[in-house]
Parts: sequence; C-alpha cells; structure tokens
Amino acid sequence: MAYLSMGEAHRRITDYLSRFCDAVSSQDAATLSALLAISSNFASLQAPADALNVFQDSNQLVNQVERYAQFAEILSPLLRCLQSYRLGRYSDAYVAFEKAANAFLQEFRNWETAWAMEAVYILALEIRLLAEKADRELSSSGKNTEKLQGAGSFLMKIFGALAGKGPKRVGALYVACQLFKVYFKLGTVHLCRSVIRSIETARLFDLDEFPVKDKVTYMYYTGRLEVYNENFTVADQKLTYALMHCSPNKEANKRMILKYLIPVKLSIGILPKQWLLEKYNLMEYNEVVKALKTGDLRLLRRALREHEDRFLRSGVYLVLEKLELQVYQRLMKKIYVLQKQKDPSKAHQLKIETAVKALNWLGMDMDMDEAECIMAILIFKNLTKGYISHKNKVVVLSKQDPFPKLNGKPVSS
Amino acid sequence: MDRETNRPKKLGFRPSKAPNPSPSSSSPVRLRPREETKRDSTSSIHERRNPVLDEDEETGSPIFSYLVGTCPDMCPAKERQQRERLRDLSVFERLHGDPSRTSSKLAVKKFCRTMSNAELQEVEIRPLPVLRSTLKYLMNLVDTSDQPFEVVHDFVFDRTRSIRQDLTRQNILDDEAICMYEEMVKFHIESHKKLAMCYTKTDLASLCYLNTEQLMKCLATLFKLFDIHRRSSSLYKNEAEFYSFYVLLHLGGKIPQMGSSLSLWYRKLTLSILQSNEMRFSMTLIRYSQLGNFKRFFTRLEAEASDLQLCLVEPFLSEIRARAISYVNHSGYKLQPYPLKHLSDVLRIKESELEELCHVCGLETTMDEAGMKTLPVKQTSFSLPKLGLPVHSLSTF
Repeated sequence: MAYLSMGEAHRRITDYLSRFCDAVSSQDAATLSALLAISSNFASLQAPADALNVFQDSNQLVNQVERYAQFAEILSPLLRCLQSYRLGRYSDAYVAFEKAANAFLQEFRNWETAWAMEAVYILALEIRLLAEKADRELSSSGKNTEKLQGAGSFLMKIFGALAGKGPKRVGALYVACQLFKVYFKLGTVHLCRSVIRSIETARLFDLDEFPVKDKVTYMYYTGRLEVYNENFTVADQKLTYALMHCSPNKEANKRMILKYLIPVKLSIGILPKQWLLEKYNLMEYNEVVKALKTGDLRLLRRALREHEDRFLRSGVYLVLEKLELQVYQRLMKKIYVLQKQKDPSKAHQLKIETAVKALNWLGMDMDMDEAECIMAILIFKNLTKGYISHKNKVVVLSKQDPFPKLNGKPVSS
Repeated sequence: MDRETNRPKKLGFRPSKAPNPSPSSSSPVRLRPREETKRDSTSSIHERRNPVLDEDEETGSPIFSYLVGTCPDMCPAKERQQRERLRDLSVFERLHGDPSRTSSKLAVKKFCRTMSNAELQEVEIRPLPVLRSTLKYLMNLVDTSDQPFEVVHDFVFDRTRSIRQDLTRQNILDDEAICMYEEMVKFHIESHKKLAMCYTKTDLASLCYLNTEQLMKCLATLFKLFDIHRRSSSLYKNEAEFYSFYVLLHLGGKIPQMGSSLSLWYRKLTLSILQSNEMRFSMTLIRYSQLGNFKRFFTRLEAEASDLQLCLVEPFLSEIRARAISYVNHSGYKLQPYPLKHLSDVLRIKESELEELCHVCGLETTMDEAGMKTLPVKQTSFSLPKLGLPVHSLSTF
C-alpha cells in the first residue's frame, strides 16, 4: 500500500462522511446504499478504510463536526466496521455493523417516506453476509458461532419496521427472504413459520404489491418448505410460479428451483424430459426418471445410493424414496401388458409368482409374502385396481384401467 | 478422550456399575465462557444464554452466570426442611413411611421451573460427583422398587429432570455429562415400553406423551454434546445408535414435534452417522413402514434391532399391524377370508393377539371348516379406536 499522508487520510474520511450526509439530505438512496455495502469491497470503500488505519481518531472527527455528529450513532460504528473489514477482522466488523445498522433503522423509522428502502435492502443483505463471514472466522478459531443468529434477530427488527400500513411495506418480502436464508443456513427452519404467517395470513400484505423478483425468491423458499413437509400439490404451485417468473437469464436460479421441482413433479406422476435435465445439469435425476419409465426398481435403488449424500443434503431423499411405489406400479403394468399380448383373455390374472420372478430377474430378492404385501398396498393406494386372492396366489385386476395414472395428483395417503 | 467403553452392540448397553469417566483421567472438559467473555468485550456474562444445554426454554432465563455447585447431598438441606414442613415428600423419600420426615439419603432434589441463577446459591446446586451418584441411586430405584411402575416413573422422571437442570446451570459438557444423558435416554426408552404395556390406564396417553417429550429433549441435548465433542475427536461408540432412536420415534403416529421434518434433520448430520449401520437400519425401517412393506419391516426388525431399539419400537407396532390388517381387509377377495395364522406369521404376533387386534379395530373374525381362524375381508367397519391399541411385543418364530 502506498504511503498515505495524514492529510490525505483525513480528506478521505471526511469525504465518506460528507457523502453520507449529502445522500441523506438529498434523499439519494442509491449513493447511500453504496456507502453501506461493506462486503462489496468497492474501491470507494477501500479508500476510506485504508485511511482509517492511518488516521486513528475518527470518532473525534465525527463528533466535532455538527453535520456528522447528528449521525454519530451510525457513522462511528460504521467507520469501525469499514476498518475492521479491511483488516480481515470479520467478527469485529459484524459487531460494529450491527450497531450502525440498529442506529440507521431508528432513523429510517422516523423518515416518513420509503425513500431509503434501497439502503435498507443493503442493510438486510450485509448483516447476513457479514454474520456468515464472522461465524466462519469464529468457527475456525474454535469459538461459538452466534453472529448469524444475531443477524436473524436484527432482520426481524427490520421486518417489524416494515410491516404495517404505509409505503414501507414493499420491502417486507425482501427482508423475509433474507430471514429464510438465515434460518435455512442455521438449520432453524421452523422459525420460518412465523414469518410466513405474518406475510400470508396477517392480511397486512397483498402479494401482488411486491416486486416480482422478491416473489420468486419467496415462492422458492416456501415451496422448498412444502417439499420437506411433503405437501406436493402446494409445493408444485409455488415452485412452478418461481420458475415461470424467474428472469430468463438467471440460469443458476432456475436450476435451484428445478432441483426441488423435479422430485415434486415425479411424485405427482409427471416426468421431465431428458433435455431439461441436461440443460440444467441435474443429471442426478436421470436414473430416477428412467426407473420410473421402465419399472426398474434396481435402478431406482442404485440411483438413490449413488447420489445419497447429495439428496440427503438437499432434503429430497425421502421424497425420492417414496417413488418406489410408482416404480412397482410400472413394473406390474409391464407384466400385465406382456400378458395381454400373449393371451388377452387371461391378462387380468396376475400370478404373484410372476411378479416375484420379474423382481428376482431384476436382481431384487423377493418372496411371495413380500410381493403380496406390495400388491396390497398398490391396491390400497389406488395405483392398482383389483383384488388379491391369497388362497390362489393371484391378483385379479380390474378389466378397465387397472393401473390408473396419477395425473398430477400425489399418491393418496 | 478415549473411546474405550467396549459395549456389545446388541445389548442396550447399561453397564452393571455406574458409568466411569474415560480412563485417560484428564480433568473433565468444562467449557468456561467466563474466560472467553473477557476477550469478547461486547457481551457480558450476564447476557449470555446457555448456548448448548438450553433444553427447556422455561428453565433457561437469559441471565446466566455459570455456577459451581457445592451441595453435598442428593437434595439441598434447605429444600429438605421446606418439604418436610409442607409434607411434600414422595413415597420414596419418607423416613419409615412418615410423610413429614426425610433424610439426606432419601430426599432427591425436585425439578423447579422458576428460578433464575441470580436467586440460587451454590449450596443448592449439586456438583458433578453428587449428580452422578444421584443418577445411580435413581436408576437403581427403577430396578429394585416394588412400587407400581407409574409411581416410580413419575418420581424418576421429575428427579432426572432436576439433574439435567443442575448440569445445565453448571454448563457441564464433558464425557461424564454424555454418560449421564445416555443413561437418562435409556430410562425414558424403557419407560416408553413399560408405560405402553399398562394398556388399561386412562391417562396413559398423556403419560406416554410426556415421557416421549422428555426423551426427545434428552436426545436433543445429547446430540448437541456429541456435536461439541466431534470437533476434537471421532464418533462415540454408541453415537449412531442414539441418532437411530430419533429416527425410530417417527414410526409412532403421535409423537411431539421437534420442530422440523426428518428430511431437514438429515441435512444436518455428518456422513459417518448417516452411513452407520444403526442409522441405515432405522431409515430403512421407516421406509418399509411408510411403503407398507410389512413383510420386510418385521423380518428386518427381528433380525437387527438392538434391545433398546426394540423397546422403542414395540409400542408402535400395534398401529403398524392395524394398518396391515386394513390393507388386507381392503384388497382381499370377498369370498375368501384371510387366514389369521399366515398374517400373524408375517406380522410377528401371536394369533390370539392378532385376533384381539382385529376385534379392537372393529373387524370380525370367523373360523373356516378346518377350524382355522380367518378374517373375512371387505368389512366396512374398520376403525382405529380412540383410546389406542393394546401393545403386543414382537413374537419371534
């Protein structure tokens, strides 16, 4: 770093402070946001940050000049944050930022219009990003990681400031999404519930008044929650909305949505085309789809084993496991179709022994009792129409549509 | 920290003596946030929530300074005297049966919701060695008392909760704490089965629910302890089995929710746990149960379950069997009643018990010409009784 004179350092800091105050007085949200975007590492932030390491007494500087002093509660910790961040001390940077952000939020509450909303978005984003960095730093030195949890609390405060009548409401969805990201990262996903309740049922908000971009993110997260709770119909609606309204150029986002939408679609009997999987690099679902198409149980099991870790991490493993039943249905249907070709008059009688043979041939170890179990459940769940004669060891299929398709509805429970 | 406890896998592993700390005999690891907070100037001692052992939101007030207890007895003297005066002594605590006299050898500290640490004195908190011997005393009581089980359970349930409270207040997080939590989990699991067997009790459902709730709280804390220790060393010997208990609880229909679905819970686990035999076993059992593959469910359960896993699962078997009966009833052939003998083989239950279960679910059974018991199918009267089902163990063949 080139040598920085005291004078130059002083100039840079006062420049930053002036820009802040100017932005507030002229209600220039864009400039204000840029000044708060700590982790963006803009050159315009690095400059004062370097200066702070030379000019040590920035506090006094803030307090001595009146126009800065009115925002001292924001500016002093903000400068500390800049300095710590530049030095790579993320935990300290977070703590300082939280102080500054709290003070900023107080001011924001007093401003009548929502002119500074963009700055609040930055606040919400930065608090999370800084907390994540801080926790990483803490974790690597063996200490307790609690900053992200703190960020979550602060985000709730922002949320509270935005909820209510008035023009500030428009930012609530964005903040809600930041909260979701925090809770998902922390693993405290059940905390999302109260946020969702505030947005959806408290009648404070009309979803149409939010920017589409925020709605997409919101639907993505709430859709994922529905997947975890296996409410496939709702999950389908939400994730499909997210996909349809996602910006055309945001390929990575589409991929994220599809990662969850595909298992949902599979669960309601809709199979994606190969090209979709290829285009979005979701080939881990390829064998699952094949297994459903061909009734190859062994293939399904293999696919689940091969990508077990990935599916468990994303949380769709149990959903995919349940597809087993549909695979069984497919296999039985195949046997039925083959029998029909050989001898149409006897096709509707499916010997349990035949099912056992087919599964054994596929490499699955199965006996008569187990096959009968499976048939019973297929019938119970309406995936097969007919009945089982235990005595004669045969399944008598209905003459009409013995293997009904799901047609967009999940398997009945 | 050594992992030398060589407990055989099949046994629910309670050793015959009290659990010993690991032979490496380094002093117990006790994380002392007091030292840490000196470095972190922004959070004072008084504002730290216990980050680990926060199992009861009611007991953990946000103001926590970690005390070191000095109470020498199972129950602090002050509480003993107070409860003698109020005649608030459990049957196990009474000296010669006198409801107003107790002794330091009989009285055990009760669980108390309200107090913040500011109000407590060190002499009212039991240090680790006392907690250890208190737990041993309570576990022994479970084995040897001839009081009815519900009475013993009620007492030990409360007093172990108090032990956990003292552990939390002193932030004891080491190997010894793990041992103690494991013991308490074991107590709750065995109680889970014993309570379920008392089919005729009317308040059974709430007793079972409360027991399961505590079981889940103990498990949650135990998992946090395992997590802490994982940073420095490998898996504990029994760790996988404890995680499998949490999974197996999901076989029961009406367990208290722990806040998130299994899918979310799996996300947080390390690969080594997920790939352990115990976890694979329990995850597979869930799969069989949800799919309705009763044949595999029961054969696998019989083949691989440890004693404790079986204890945990047995109270859930009736619901699973009832489901199986309903599937058979639904999918069978009207003109051919289903042989109970065969069904009882598959469901690993005695034929007479299966018959009872059918009746309790509103289904009739008949006899065929050969004198064999059968279940006529396509009956429309199937329903699960509100008061719950009788519990039958796993019958092995």
